[in-house]
Amino acid sequence: MDRKVLIAIVLVVAAIVVIGAYAATVLMRESKGGSVYYLKMAPATMAAALESGSVDAYIAWEPFVSEAVVGHTGEVLMWSDEVMPNHPCCVVAVSTNFVEGPNGVELTERFLKAHVEATQWMLDSLEDSQGSNYTLLVTLASEFTARNTTVVEEALKHLEFRYQVDSVFTSALEEFVDLYVETNQTTPQEIEDRGYTSVSDLVEKYVNESYLEAAADVQPSQTVINPDDPIRLGYLLGDLHQLAQYVAADDRVLGGSQSLFEKFGVNVEPAIGAPYANGGVVMDNFAAGNVDIGYLGAPPALIRHIKAGVDVSIVAQANIEGSGLVVKVGSEMSGLDDLVNKTVATPGETSIQHLLLRIALDREGLDLVLKT
Amino acid sequence: MEPVVKRLRGVVVAHWKEIVLGAVSLVVFISAWWALHVYYANQGSVYAEYLPSPKDVWSTLVGLFERPDPYIRVPFSEHISASLERIAFGFVLALALAVPAGLLMARFKASHAVGRPIVELFRPIPPLAWVPIAIIAFGSFLGPVAIVFLGIFFPVLFTVMLGARSVEPTLIDAARTLGASRFAVFEKVIFPYTVPYLMTGIKVGLGIGWMCIVAAEMVSAKGGGLGYFILTMSEFGAYEEMYAGMVMIGVLSVLTTGVAGIFENFVYRRMGMK
Repeated sequence: MDRKVLIAIVLVVAAIVVIGAYAATVLMRESKGGSVYYLKMAPATMAAALESGSVDAYIAWEPFVSEAVVGHTGEVLMWSDEVMPNHPCCVVAVSTNFVEGPNGVELTERFLKAHVEATQWMLDSLEDSQGSNYTLLVTLASEFTARNTTVVEEALKHLEFRYQVDSVFTSALEEFVDLYVETNQTTPQEIEDRGYTSVSDLVEKYVNESYLEAAADVQPSQTVINPDDPIRLGYLLGDLHQLAQYVAADDRVLGGSQSLFEKFGVNVEPAIGAPYANGGVVMDNFAAGNVDIGYLGAPPALIRHIKAGVDVSIVAQANIEGSGLVVKVGSEMSGLDDLVNKTVATPGETSIQHLLLRIALDREGLDLVLKT
Repeated sequence: MEPVVKRLRGVVVAHWKEIVLGAVSLVVFISAWWALHVYYANQGSVYAEYLPSPKDVWSTLVGLFERPDPYIRVPFSEHISASLERIAFGFVLALALAVPAGLLMARFKASHAVGRPIVELFRPIPPLAWVPIAIIAFGSFLGPVAIVFLGIFFPVLFTVMLGARSVEPTLIDAARTLGASRFAVFEKVIFPYTVPYLMTGIKVGLGIGWMCIVAAEMVSAKGGGLGYFILTMSEFGAYEEMYAGMVMIGVLSVLTTGVAGIFENFVYRRMGMK
């Protein structure tokens, strides 16, 4: 054989060996101990990732917790209310531009009335698991989340729909912002630059209960107020916490002739691009002027307002609790300290699930760090 | 030192027009960016926060090298090395498969017939579409590498095919007439003829690799990465950090393409084409 060819072959083999050896070191690379590791993942893929062994645990919102439980692949190590009882989760936010626009206040109040009625209907339906309303609720939940009825029935047990704005809610929001400040994710200066004197001043002004209070007096309307100019609604993909808007838009709830939105005279349609992947995207679309009213988690609503000045306010809650930390069945993990050196999938650093996990681990003296 | 300085001076003298024009274009771009920021800021528009000034982005970028961001809490240098690693692996894998596949498909009717339908079927699917399944199938390290691989593979494959097919038949005939074996024809005619195309493929592929990095690191990027960094910063509304990450990708892409250019020159010189 030609000498040149021989050299070429030797070079290629050498290159393959070097690259292979490096790849092996990368793949075998162990994270240094003493912490819990996380990877960001879309909640819909978490159960599959747990099963394939690429993560040891995951924290997500319902129905992705019950999905693994019902499928016998996972068991719940910790529910989110064990970290913070009655913790806020999803909220309803309204764009300031929309409120100040034509009929903005009235449309907001009417929308909230439908939100309240839908929430109340869900709570009533959940009371009697033999009733026909319960069956309808499960059907709607199954349609909205694209999960089967067994999964959503289990999931509905672990969250509480709630619209009221109370002191538990506002003090939890303050706790979130305090944590953001403590961990340098924002600074007191940034909060002041937004025109607030303190964290409690921020929460007090950012949460506006007045529309919800006024909604109590809203009466059914014969006509739709905004037939040509629908409220553009932002919400998250398959998030069971946000079922109220699906219930309010469905005419089966009132027996088939009209939806709750129509009953209270508002025309609502999904915003461009909705449903969105996470709360950050809802805030992006608020900023872009694509969304008038949106359902999203409280933490992204707070941090994006502080950091990027997106001009909205929180006008109601959608649910409390309803997230869980799932580990593999038979993993013999019994507490958070069993997670040391293990990898947990979270929906991302801005999510409430990530925040709550960080708080819970912090209490055990553990840190949550990105998997390397 | 002396000859290097002399050579550099020679380059500057020979290309001063291009250098001046390039600098002017950069300055105009940055001024336009800055002007738009100032315009929004003066209006009191929220868009001023979505488009921070170049100065703020620059100082954020410098600051990121001194201490990690408070959101992901991973040093910036680790994001850079994680992304570089992904690009390198994806690139090497793509090259290792695309070059032989391209040569085979260009020179043999049967392998062309076998490969073409698969290639044509998969080529138009954006690497982004594979993201969710790649993470589940290949895990948090090889998943993102697979996305980069998909981005680089097809452009390299097609340039190699194009190169190997455009060899003038008379050259091959001539070589055969002079008694060259099939292997010698390949080694002395077809492969050298393909090299310039391959070099173009490498440069294009590297650029596309960087374009895929954000998609690749959208979910489950072990050890972070610049794409992961950019996405997370945008979720937090930390736009200065986000733009700093984007600038970094631009800089790294210029550097890697630059290295490819040097390699290209080296190869051409060895082959006596320059």
